Amino acid sequence: MRYGMRVFIVTLAAVAALPWAASAQAPGRTPEKPVVPSVPAPPGWKSCPRCQNEADRREANARYKVEGHAFNPRDLSGVWYGGEGAAGRIFTNPPPYTPLGKERFEATIGEKNAAGEYLHTKDTSGIGGGAQVNCDPRGWPRLATGNYGFEFIMLPDRVLQFFEQTHTSRTIWTDGRKLPDSPPELRWLGWNVGRWEGNTFIVESTGFDDRSWISATQPDGGFPHTDEMRVVEHWRRPSYGAIEVQITITDPQIYTQPWALRPLTVSLAPGAEIWEYFCVPSDFNTFNNDIYLPVATGDKK
Amino acid sequence: MRPVRLSVVTLAVVVGAFLLGASATAHHSRAGYDSAAGKLVTNNGVVSNVIWRNPHVFVVWDVKDSNGSVVKWTGELSSPTTMISEGMGRDTFKPGDPITATFMPAKAGTPHGLLIKVVRPDGKIVMDLSERRNLLEQ
Repeated sequence: MRYGMRVFIVTLAAVAALPWAASAQAPGRTPEKPVVPSVPAPPGWKSCPRCQNEADRREANARYKVEGHAFNPRDLSGVWYGGEGAAGRIFTNPPPYTPLGKERFEATIGEKNAAGEYLHTKDTSGIGGGAQVNCDPRGWPRLATGNYGFEFIMLPDRVLQFFEQTHTSRTIWTDGRKLPDSPPELRWLGWNVGRWEGNTFIVESTGFDDRSWISATQPDGGFPHTDEMRVVEHWRRPSYGAIEVQITITDPQIYTQPWALRPLTVSLAPGAEIWEYFCVPSDFNTFNNDIYLPVATGDKK
Repeated sequence: MRPVRLSVVTLAVVVGAFLLGASATAHHSRAGYDSAAGKLVTNNGVVSNVIWRNPHVFVVWDVKDSNGSVVKWTGELSSPTTMISEGMGRDTFKPGDPITATFMPAKAGTPHGLLIKVVRPDGKIVMDLSERRNLLEQ
């Protein structure tokens, strides 16, 4: 085969493969044309971020004139939606574990069924699959990549970040207080302080309850941390319709060096408002015991 | 460049490009359901119940088998708000509604499935998750 033809074939193959990667990486990847239109919210109310399909988002972005909209880069307020697959985009390339880290990670791996499929039995902050206990708080930074949206509310002395999934919030104090040297209680969402440096909102957190996972791992388990984990976040709003955060995790007992996550970009959801997604233990346990486990283990009731 | 080296480069680039795409779209199937291609099952029945709750909505429908006995099927979907984005609401199905259901069956052979598509007798598509199967695999 001639050289020129080979180059052409290589290029063609690479270009043909690109949409797979590009579409998988794009936030909120859903079919461009909905099969069935979404169910509208009641009159006067807005849909939740997850309730919208791509056509709804495009329509809302046009209606609220998001493109080119004037904005204050030191105002993070709004409802934000990162789409699906965000966890897989930012929780990559973790540093090597310490011996303790390896031991703690291995303890997060649960049981398998007879076919060797993981049941996720150790994820007590899970969302209904396999764990004997469901609905422990997801914790931070695991909530950062939840795909049900969050809202930032800016107040004079604090920033509230409210997450739809599991109906929870964290408070980031901006009144100048310092992080405590010895937090009197460990928190699933940490103790958080924030400050502006130019147009970057820097959040520092400590005092984490060590039962949460930084994020779930594939095919099972989750990235562990101790109560000495420190998290630093840099938030920026480069445009009216986008917000981005870069998170760095430091926990020398578990990771041999700081873990600087890839930046995460989240889109404004102007046509949405946060709904109520409580993790209801009785609902999640019913699902787990009556649906998930019987199917996953093949036990015939 | 010598032809031999270009063949290796060609192979590496093509494989790399497809792996990039494949790994970015790869997801893990839900334990216990048969997600292999060509294994979808379709049956016809009558809705008896819908549980509209997190983590997953599920629809229960009765199917008459060849002997005339009724088998109760349970089909899982995604969360209520996800189903809203797919055009299904809390009142979409009522007990007594006839449906044609297409689903990934439970490998154990029990009457359970991950619902992919539901169609009414007149052919109207109520919901079709064919392109969003990853939603069901949490």
